[in-house]
This record gives sequence, structure tokens and C-alpha cells, in this order.
Amino acid sequence: MPSRGNRFRPVEGEATSSGRGTDDLDLASPEPVASGPPTARHGASDPVGTADRLRAETSKRIAGALAGVLSPGALGDVYVGWVAAREAATCPARYRGEGEHGWGFPGWSPPLAGGACGRAALAHHVAEADRAGRPAALPMPLDAIRVWMRALRAPGVTGDGRTPPVERGSVGDWICDVWDAGDPATLAAVAALGGRWMAGFVRVLGWPLPSGLTLLNAPGPAAVSALRWRPDAAAPVTVACGADARLGRVTGAGGFALVVHRVTTGDDDALRVRAAFEAAAAALAIGVAPGSVLITAGDTGDRVTVPVDDDLLALGAERIVIVVEQRVVALERGFDPTDATPSGACRHCDHLADCPPGQAWTHMAARWRGGLPVL
Amino acid sequence: MVDGLGDVLARPPQPPAPDGIAALRTALDDGARAARSVGGWNQDEPLRLSKRLVTGLLRCPRRALSDDQGAGGDDVAVGWVVDAAAKLAAVSPRRQVNVDAAVAFLTALGDSTVAEHLADLGPAAARLTSDATARIDRLAASLARVDAGWWPRVEDPVRVPLAGGAVTVAGRIDVLLGGPPTGRPGVIVEVKGGRWHDAMRADGHLYALLVALRDGEVPASAVTLVSDGTTHVEHIRPALLQHAAERLDESMRVAARLAAGEPPATLPGAHCGHCPVRPDCPAGRAWRPPGDGAASAP
Repeated sequence: MPSRGNRFRPVEGEATSSGRGTDDLDLASPEPVASGPPTARHGASDPVGTADRLRAETSKRIAGALAGVLSPGALGDVYVGWVAAREAATCPARYRGEGEHGWGFPGWSPPLAGGACGRAALAHHVAEADRAGRPAALPMPLDAIRVWMRALRAPGVTGDGRTPPVERGSVGDWICDVWDAGDPATLAAVAALGGRWMAGFVRVLGWPLPSGLTLLNAPGPAAVSALRWRPDAAAPVTVACGADARLGRVTGAGGFALVVHRVTTGDDDALRVRAAFEAAAAALAIGVAPGSVLITAGDTGDRVTVPVDDDLLALGAERIVIVVEQRVVALERGFDPTDATPSGACRHCDHLADCPPGQAWTHMAARWRGGLPVL
Repeated sequence: MVDGLGDVLARPPQPPAPDGIAALRTALDDGARAARSVGGWNQDEPLRLSKRLVTGLLRCPRRALSDDQGAGGDDVAVGWVVDAAAKLAAVSPRRQVNVDAAVAFLTALGDSTVAEHLADLGPAAARLTSDATARIDRLAASLARVDAGWWPRVEDPVRVPLAGGAVTVAGRIDVLLGGPPTGRPGVIVEVKGGRWHDAMRADGHLYALLVALRDGEVPASAVTLVSDGTTHVEHIRPALLQHAAERLDESMRVAARLAAGEPPATLPGAHCGHCPVRPDCPAGRAWRPPGDGAASAP
């Protein structure tokens, strides 16, 4: 029997995503970070001006990267979320080699949808309480997921306008399709993973949720659906912020915090890089720089606050631009081992057979596993 | 006997006070730092301990380091099906849980190993399916009776970094009930697909320790549901946490010596019977169960 693998897991040690574009970071970052309670503090002195400058600089660099493209149609849409940012920076050769299939959204699956469904169900739970004019009770995760799934399929009631149909969003549409297809196994898997996301989120942040918390990337009146930015209407580039929530109101004074929740923290990129990407993406999308990024982890229970400053935003913008640059390079050459950067991802890389650096790395890595020699 | 879980949830014991958790963390952190100085791990390349590796290092370091961790097979597949069925029952309590549903659940989670194994077996899969069916029913019934207020979550991840992240201890609890913020005491449920043996207790103890370190509250009980019909209920006492911490500390010491280049010890025992490296292990080949006359043969 083959070793037990997961076809949805491209990276060893990487567990369930918290949703499209919101996965992967490592709380064991060597970067200095300040721990603190989940509050919205910190902040640049001029959050609006900072975001304006970031937009201008990032637009200019993206335009520069695209300037050499003779046939813009050949480039296709360039979607820059955290996963693409991580992939393009950690091994440009591998990222280019993914091609259209790998660059695009692979479609919903339970592991990918766990976070999105958990957020949506929590947003629905909060919205229902708001509609009833009472404080939201502590949600029971599995029940909250089921209630949300049922609500997705229920039509809006009566003509009084008091119970409008539930906003589905992309993941909600998928759930309805799965339901219609009569696939209880997938629904159960989504419930398990979405419930786990919600349980971890609520456990780490506490209940009631912190004052001023708004869920992001979730449908419904109690959440903000999506944070996206395009450098200009003609550019094929979309930058997506994958944060799970926001602490505090967005005002010109800034000071709000992004919240990024991770179910697990495995062999991921450094925490600071993830925070940098989401902070930059949010500043670009909102037009106001966040004051900090609060990273929470379900498996460790940690809450780590990363203050946002110019250096962090520059790091995030750099990661965004790298994606665009590599997509442009990919027009000329896809996978090319000359700039391959070996890592644990080599074990699952489709190009390993053609990649001497990756083969050398895996040969070495095969002699050690989890910090111990392999005999 | 499976009603043991229901009994625990109906009358959960008072968990130990959290007073001792900080001291346990400090002691483990000290041990991890000492081990790090020998083993040479750091944040980027840490020692990654799991319940399996902790037990393996203490049981037989030679086997724990083997590249061959034992091939799968029908017994392993049955174990995975049983495990999945129990989790499915916890997630979908109103649903009829059988082998087909459990395999579909696994596949939906992204793990198609068992489905492929069954397909490879063809008609011979019937024996495996029959074996799994016989084991599933009582386990599923037990977990399906858990009310939602216990917040059942499956494969709940827990990870404790020590020595600044140079050592991490991680696991996924089959089913975790209660604990913060539910207002109910935590109950760890471990599902085992084979036959009960006393060494299974250690897994529950280790997970109780990790959950206590993560949540700052000690779970009340660790319940091991075994597909042979055994339900082992262990109410968590400070002494059990202390014991689990001592085992973890000792496993870090063993790991440090191995990482530093010391040859692994071979510790023969009952585990030799199904050890994949036994053919290359004189001590393992020589080992015989107690009472076996061949053990004393020259």
C-alpha cells in the first residue's frame, strides 16, 4: 500500500488551509515579534499617505514588470494571493512551472474550504443574532456549520424583507452544488474542517469575540466579503488580501489590525513574511495602512502581534511584485532549474526529476527526518 | 463497555487545578534546551516529536530511526477505516456510519489511500470490509451520542514549541470534547483500530499534557476507544501529567544523543514481532516472547 498522502496537500506538514489565500506561516519565526492581547493598536503616523505611496510604488513596479510583455493576452490573469506570493518567492522555477493550472484557483475541496466555511458560518451566526437584536451566544461549531448550510438552501421568507436569503459567496455556491449532487461525505468533511477552524478561532480569540472585530473574506451583513486591489483597470493583476478578520474600524487615522488565523503552523514561511504580505495587500485594497497584524494559531494557542511599519509594507509589496515578475518570465521559460531553490517542497514537486538542485536536496534530506538521522 | 464515554460525559470528573502547568512547561523547556545543546537543533531545523516518535524512542531507538516504518496492509487499512468511522460519527451523529461512508469521508478529506487499497484488492476487499464493519458499530454509536454542547472536533491539532522552537511536540487528537471556551472540562478521545494493550495509555497521557500546555487548563479525562470493544477511561491526575512530561523529557535526551551521532540502542521486546528492521537486527531476531522455549536456546 502506498504511503498515506493527501492529494490536497502539496507541502509536507502543511495542514488544512484556512481558506483561499489565507494559509501558511510559521509562528516559530526567527524574526523579533511582540506578543500581546488582541487589540487594535500601533499604526503609522500617516496611514492614508503610507497606503497612497505604497499603491503608487507598487503600481509603478508592476507596470515596469509588464512593460516588456509584447502580448498581454498571453499573460492571462495574474492572481496574487498569499499562496502565489510564497510559491514565487521560495522557488521561482517551481512557480513558473506550475503553469495555468497551478496558478489558478484549483476549485473548492473540503481542505481548501474549511476556513472559508468556518468564517461564513461564524458570520452567519453573528448576523442572525444581530438581526434578532441580541448578543450572539457562544457558537457550537458543528451546529453553526449545519445551520449555515441549511440557510444557504433556504429561500428568503415572506415579503416583509426581514429574512432575506443568505448571501452565499463562492464557497456557499459550491456547498449548494455539493448538496444537490447528494454527496454527504464531502459535506461531512466540510463540517469537520470548518468546525475545527471555527473552534480554534473562537478558542484563541475568546468569546465574546473582541470588541470591534469584523470577519473578512466572508459573505453576509456581519462581514466584509473580499479585499482586492488592481493597479489599474487595464492591468491583468489582482492582489487579494487573505486576512480572516479586522480589529477596529477603518478610518483615516488607521490603527486597525488584521487578524490571520492558522489552524496549524507547520513548515511554513516566516510569520513576518505572511504578516508583511497581508498588511501590504490590505493597505493596497483599503487605501489605509493597518496598524498591526495579529497572527493566531489554533494548534499552539498563540497570538502574536506584528506591528506594521514601512519596512514590513515594503517586504509585502516586494512579494507581490515577484509574482508578477515571475509570471512574465514564465512567458519565455517555465520550469528552469537554474534558479530553483530547494526546500521541503521538493519532496512533492512535479519537476523533481528534472531538477538537479532539488534532487541533491532531497538526497541529503532523506538522511534526516524531523531532526533525527534516518537509518 | 463503550458506554464508558457516555458515563464520563454524563458525570465528568473535576479536572486538576492548572497550578502545576507552568512548572511542567518550565521543566520541559529546560530539558529541551539541554537536549538542543547536544542535538544541535534550531528553529529552522527543529526536532519534531510526535506521540509515535516519543514512544518509539523509548521503546527501541533503532527501530524509531528506521527508514522503513512498516508497510501498510489490510490491518492498517482497517485501522484507518475504523478511525475515520469514529470521526464521522462525531461529526454527523444522525448519519448511519458504515465502511463505505467512512471511506468516502476519508477520500473527501483528501486521503484516497484506503479507497485505492480496496480497489486494488478487488473481490478480496470483502474480508477487509467485513472485518472493519464488525469493529465500527460500537465505536460509532458511542461517539454519535455526544451532544453538540461538548464541541466535538476531530483531528484537533496541538503543538507545543520548546526551547524557542528548537523542539516541537505535535499531534492531532482524534476527537476533543469540551475545554475552553465551552465551560465544560476537556475530554480527550483516542480511537484505536487494533486490540487494546496497556501501552496505549501513554498516548492519552501525552495528549493531556499537550492540551494542558496549550489551553492552560488540564483535561478531565482521556478515553481510549478500541475497536476490540475495550473502552479505557483514565481521569487525569497531576501524577499522570508528571509521568507524561518525564517520558517526553527522556525521549528528548535519547533524541539528542542520536542526533549527535551516537549509535541507536536496540531494545528487543514484544514489538520485535512486527518490526520491519528485524531481519537486520540480531537482538530482535533472538528475542522470543516470555515462556517461549526457544528464548533460552543457544
